[in-house]
Amino acid sequence: MRRAFDIAFAVAAGLVLAFLLLPILALFIRISPAELLDALWSDVALDALWVSLKTGLIAHFFVLLIGTPAAYFLATKRFRGRGVLITLVELPLVLPPAVAGIALLALFGRRGLLGEQLYALGITVPLTQAAVVMAVTFVAMPFYVRQAIASFETVDPALIDASRTLGASPQRTFWRVALPLSATGLGAGSALAWARGTGEFGATIMFAGSLQGLTQTMPLAIYAQLDLNPDIAIAIGALLVLVSLTVLLSVKLLPSWTRFTSISYISSAPSGSSSS
Amino acid sequence: MRRLAALGAVALLAASCGGDDEGVRGDLEGITVFGAASLTEVFQEIAPNVTFNFAGSDELATQIREGAPADVYAAASPRYPDELFEEGLIEEPQVFATNRLVLIVPADNPAGIESVEDLMADGVKLVVGAEGVPIGDYTRTVLESMGMTDVLENVVSNEEDVKGVVGKITSGAADAGFVYVTDAAAAGDDVEAIELPEEAQAVVQYPIAVVVESENAEAALEFVDLILGEDGREALENAGFGPP
Repeated sequence: MRRAFDIAFAVAAGLVLAFLLLPILALFIRISPAELLDALWSDVALDALWVSLKTGLIAHFFVLLIGTPAAYFLATKRFRGRGVLITLVELPLVLPPAVAGIALLALFGRRGLLGEQLYALGITVPLTQAAVVMAVTFVAMPFYVRQAIASFETVDPALIDASRTLGASPQRTFWRVALPLSATGLGAGSALAWARGTGEFGATIMFAGSLQGLTQTMPLAIYAQLDLNPDIAIAIGALLVLVSLTVLLSVKLLPSWTRFTSISYISSAPSGSSSS
Repeated sequence: MRRLAALGAVALLAASCGGDDEGVRGDLEGITVFGAASLTEVFQEIAPNVTFNFAGSDELATQIREGAPADVYAAASPRYPDELFEEGLIEEPQVFATNRLVLIVPADNPAGIESVEDLMADGVKLVVGAEGVPIGDYTRTVLESMGMTDVLENVVSNEEDVKGVVGKITSGAADAGFVYVTDAAAAGDDVEAIELPEEAQAVVQYPIAVVVESENAEAALEFVDLILGEDGREALENAGFGPP
């Protein structure tokens, strides 16, 4: 009886793995490695790689620059409505990307809430590279902020108090105590945000459009090339699989890297490993 | 199960033979029609009970090649139906309608565009169909015969189907776009259409065919006949399509 139970569950595990991994395997088998490399050297693929890298890096810069202090504030301050605020920050996590696209249009479109004034000033956001950066930032930010809040919250308050008692200013305490102790969790959040940003499709195609070399990121290029040149679509897909795998491995391995270099492992391990 | 459904459809068809038009349309419920995006409004009006998949004709062709369960394929260009027919994936296509291109701008026309020449101005945000998508190829043909391909430098987005172009205009994201006259009509007051010179127009033909692998071939043929028949022609004409 118990054996049958075990076997049934093992079969379920096998089915899940097969269902999740076979499509990815099929992607790599569909064309030969030589064709794959050839396709990756095409203008379309290289342009898409460049657009993705550029917009991704700019978006990531904003995510880290604004997201880190915001997360620290939300993690350490106690005030009314804090829970509501944190929930609101997380909302884009569960929001369908198409909703993000139409929402960004509703704000920055020519007839949008802010767009009308911006347009009067001669600034148009939709269908520009800035729009790609905004779409990516919008969907990736919550991944980082959420993880960063969790990481800052796991820093032992006694250590913060000790730092303050020893005469360190709040700034110094943030830079020298809170930030290093949360580094693992922040790194994991950063990697997840990068992965989500790289995969962004729905909001981008609605808000930024699709123009090779300007707004056509890798996922958009896959969509555009599927009919024209499937080899290129597959090659970009394969490349994105490798990027995702790298992100995943770095998230998994981060805690063990820092184990020997920082005492933070003990306090930040739960957040780091719960995300993996 | 599928066989049962097919049998059921055949039985229903037999039962309705000689019935009125409403009855014929009701029987089409079980079929799936892959239609060019520009056919969205008119096909839904002609046969509200049919399951539709509207997208760029090129994307639909790819889906049919990959074995998507389509019963009928109706495209905005003979290019893909001809390819699929040669590959033995669809029956011989028949042209059921024609169309022509117009330039559309948002109702408030922020860039002040009155003609194709105005698209040359710096900073104009032009949206067109991507290459390989019928509307995109027609747009390039028209611009070539006008000697105006330079305006393509102002393109800010290549859309995967004509409705993508319409959406970028109605949402106010772009200043102008090339679409079919029927899409301009369907978008109503949200857009203003600017006619293109008659001599520069591309030949836009809509072929339709039953998919060879259709499990519902009789109902599929019924749908094709409906589109080619008087009711279909009348609805197409009302929507602004030209005769084949």
